[in-house]
Order: sequence, then structure tokens, then C-alpha cells
Amino acid sequence: MNAIEIRNLTKNFGVKQALKGLNMTVPVGSIYGFIGENGSGKSTTEKIICGLIHPNGGSIKLYGREYTDTEVRAKIGVLIESPGCFPNMTVWNNLKLQADNLSIKNSDAEIRKILKLVRMEGAAGNKYKNCSLGMKQRIGIAMALLGNPALLVLDEPINGLDADGMRIMREVLVDIAKSGATIVVSSHILGELEKIATHYGIVRGGKMIAEMTAEELENSCRKFVSVGVAKKDWAKTFLMRKYSNVEEDEQGYIRVYDQTSPEEIVSYLYDNCVIVNEIKTDKIGLEEYYIDLMQGKGAK
Amino acid sequence: MDNAKGLKFESPTFKQRIKGMLGVDFYRLFHTPLFYIFLAIAAIIPAMVSALTMMPDQNGNTMEPLYSNVWQIIAASEPLYVIKGIADYANMNMVFIFGGIMVSIFIGHDYKSGYVKQLFTTHAKKEDYMISKTLTCAFAMVCMCGTYFIGGTIGGLVAGYNASVNVGSLLVSVFGKMILSLGWASLFTFLNVIFRRYFGISVASSFFFGTGILIIGVAAIVEALSLPTAFLNIFLYGASVNACLTSGFGAFITCIAVSVAWAGIYILVGSHILNKSDVY
Repeated sequence: MNAIEIRNLTKNFGVKQALKGLNMTVPVGSIYGFIGENGSGKSTTEKIICGLIHPNGGSIKLYGREYTDTEVRAKIGVLIESPGCFPNMTVWNNLKLQADNLSIKNSDAEIRKILKLVRMEGAAGNKYKNCSLGMKQRIGIAMALLGNPALLVLDEPINGLDADGMRIMREVLVDIAKSGATIVVSSHILGELEKIATHYGIVRGGKMIAEMTAEELENSCRKFVSVGVAKKDWAKTFLMRKYSNVEEDEQGYIRVYDQTSPEEIVSYLYDNCVIVNEIKTDKIGLEEYYIDLMQGKGAK
Repeated sequence: MDNAKGLKFESPTFKQRIKGMLGVDFYRLFHTPLFYIFLAIAAIIPAMVSALTMMPDQNGNTMEPLYSNVWQIIAASEPLYVIKGIADYANMNMVFIFGGIMVSIFIGHDYKSGYVKQLFTTHAKKEDYMISKTLTCAFAMVCMCGTYFIGGTIGGLVAGYNASVNVGSLLVSVFGKMILSLGWASLFTFLNVIFRRYFGISVASSFFFGTGILIIGVAAIVEALSLPTAFLNIFLYGASVNACLTSGFGAFITCIAVSVAWAGIYILVGSHILNKSDVY
């Protein structure tokens, strides 16, 4: 069963078509990295899933049921943009109010458990407005976790966080996933997403242009041989004579994407009087894969 | 967290949902300074209106009294749909203006803080929201009627107005207006749902409708045409005016019927609008 199954989703804001027949499949138990440029339709899709805005067309099933079904909605936890907290109330009181709204029995124990999960045990008495951005995002996740949700929809939860905040958030999301929840997380920080996501969906111009598992991404990512030489231009000229796909990266290394071996390249350059200082095989990450996809270079 | 195999779909009953939501709304109401500020305003304004109008002017001459009776600050002597002076207007109906502004700010915070977003993404139904907000805000306005009564009475007695009154009619007018708080609260909740994205317009529209100026305008036309004005009692402002110091039990029943009917209409229409439109 899929946690989310979306088919031909459309949404118009006036004359602007935000979603143009988007399809999306999120398997149960996955951490689904939802990637796309600003204005590509990520937040719109998430808001529709969460019932905040209405689609113009298409179908959305959550765990095989209509997404408007109140029983299935009771199984969703959400963090869209920012947590819905009252700034002058304490963290505890904000969570307590949400727990009351959800008619949670024995809410104190559940709030304590969730605060521990999001590493916020010591901050329960802090006023929400005095919390740091990282803490606020974790409070948002804590609110989303109330009521034992099976599906979490998190919109850009790591944006604006410092390195430590990102690490904590990453750990929190992995812990939540281990407990069995399905997580849809959108982010622009692809390097962070790559560390936790099990599935990916890449959206562009209101359409899903690629969906894959982490393994499929791993296999799809272009492999290359990275060469470090003193005479870069000289080496590049020779390599381009033999190989069809040669590029220089931002760090000044020469990448050869053609199927070859480091030994073959070293030998070839040596024959042409170029000494190789450094050589390794590598593959592009999610970020580069995404950029390639956006630029229409293709995966392999 | 639930995993797929053990996933059980359960939804709280209406009673559980509304109990939870009312609990939250009342907690917020009692913990916001706004509520107490408006209670104080509702008490101070009638006290000042009563007391200040009996004070001597700069030359030491006593001003023309605004009222002839302590209780006219609570309700008019007779149903005056068309106001001819400030005394005809300045009575407990002013609570509905203060209440409108308070409700706008209270509901505005729901949207500003993102609370509604948190609410509507879960199992909460739009009807629950309308009902909970209406009941909470109606309670706040009933409390304001209470402080208004206390402030107005003390102010009137201190000013030395005549305190004789038909107790039955006074009770009908006070409790009638309190009952009408439900209908007024539903109107203000409805207006704030309509203008949820525009806080300033929400406040302004609540103030505008709270003044009853539309009904006053209609009443002026009706009176000019020498037509009967009784039908105006089907409106919230009309029923509020009808609950006066000469009212009988019928006026009280009218207040109940009008308040409940309009509350039902506004809750239904407001829920429908929320169901059909983008919430956030």
C-alpha cells in the first residue's frame, strides 16, 4: 500500500497553473525527499495533501482512502512553512493545546515523550517567541507528531538551520522514520536530504519529472574519474581528444564521464607527458543529479 | 508512530472534537489580555457616559442630563430603531461593537499564528471551528454585557439618576441582549472567515455591522414610509433594540429565536465557505 498516491493533480491560482497533472507515489515507511525549484509546485502539493487548499482536478489517496476522509486525516502530522504556535505561550502549553485539539488522552506523557524525541526536553517552559529557529522547527515537528501520525508532511524543515540544527533535525527525522512513520520532506538543501531520504520525487513546473528510490538514484548518478594535474589546460586538451565527455569541476579537477578506468587515464596522460597528481573514481550527488536533470543533461 | 500494518483509522466523535476545540479556545480566551481589556472597556464606557453627562460644565451649570433613568444606559425606554440622539444609541447594544472588534482580533490571531493551519490539516471539521469560535466569542460578549451592566449601573447611581424600573422588562432586555450575543458572535465569526486574509477589513467590517447602521438605515426608510417596523426584529440589531425597558416576555422569546436562527445560518454558510475555499 502507498501512503500517498496522487494522479493528475491540477491547481490554478487565477490564470496561473501551479500544478499541471502532477503524479506522486509515496510508499509506506519511506522518507520521501520532495525536490523542486521555488514555484515548482512543492508547497502547493503539500498544502493540498494537508487539506489547506483545494485542487482543481485529479485524485489524492492517503493509505488507499480519499484524502478528505476525517479518519485518515487524523493520521497526518504537518509542518507547513512554520509551526502554528502562539508566540506568548510556552512550548509546553502550545503542545498541550494541540493535544487537546486532537483529543489525546494522557497527553502529558505523550508530550514528554515527543519533546524527548525532538531533543527539546529542557525547553518545555520556554516561551515560543524566545526559541531559536532550529528549536521552533523542532517544536513544529513535535506538534506534527502529536496524535501518533502515520504520515508526516514537512515543508522545508531544515531551511535556515545552522549545521548543528541540521544535524539534530536529521537525527530526529531518522528516529521518527525508524518508528514506522512515512515522512514527506521538501527541501532545497539537497545534500542534507541525500543523507536521509529513501525515495525522491523531483517536481518542475507543476509536474513530477522523476521519482526514484535512493538505490535507483545511486545507480542513475553519473560515475566519473576525477583527475588532479598541474597542467590542467594541457591535460584537458589531451583528454578531450580521446574522451567525449570531459568537464572541469568547481574545484579545478578534470572529470571524465566516459566509461574508463583511472589506470587507463594515468597511462594515457603519461604517454602525453602529463603527470597525474591525484586521481579517483566518484559519482555525482543528488544536487548535481538534480542540476543535470534541470539542465536536461540526463542521468547517465 | 503507526506503521502501515498496525494502522487503525479512528476519528474522534463530534463531541470529542468540539470539547477539545472549546477547551483550547476558552483557554486562549482566559489567557489573553485582550479579553480583560475589553471587559474593562465594556464597564468603563457606560460608567463614564452616565457619570460625565451629569457633571457641571465650565461655568458650574449642570448639563442637560443624557438620560432620565439609571437603566437607560442598559436599554432604551422603547424600541428606537431610528436614533435621534446619542442617548437612543448609547446602551448595551454598544457591547456588540466592542465584541466585534474583540472577535476580529481573537480570530485574527488564529490566522496570524498559523493555528488554523495546524487545526485544519488534522481531523478538525470547518463546522467545528465555526461552532467553537461562535460559542467562545458569545461567552466573551456575555461577560462584556455583564461588566457593562455593572459599570452602567454604578455610573448611573453615582450620577444620581432615578433608579425606578420595571424589573421584568429590565431582566428581559439584559438577558435578551446576552442571548443575542450568540447571534452577533456568529456574525462576527462569519465576517472574519470571509475576510480571513485581510485583518484590517475584518476589524472594520465587524465594527460596521456591529453598529447596526444598515438596520438603522432601513428603519429610517421604513419609518419615512410609515410602514410597520416590527419586521426589523428578525435582524440581530432589530431584536437587540426591541429588547428594551418596556419589553415583555415576547421580546425575550424573539431574542432567543433570532439569535439561534442567525447563529445557525452563519455557522452553516461560514462552514460551507471554509469547505469550498482555500483555507491558508
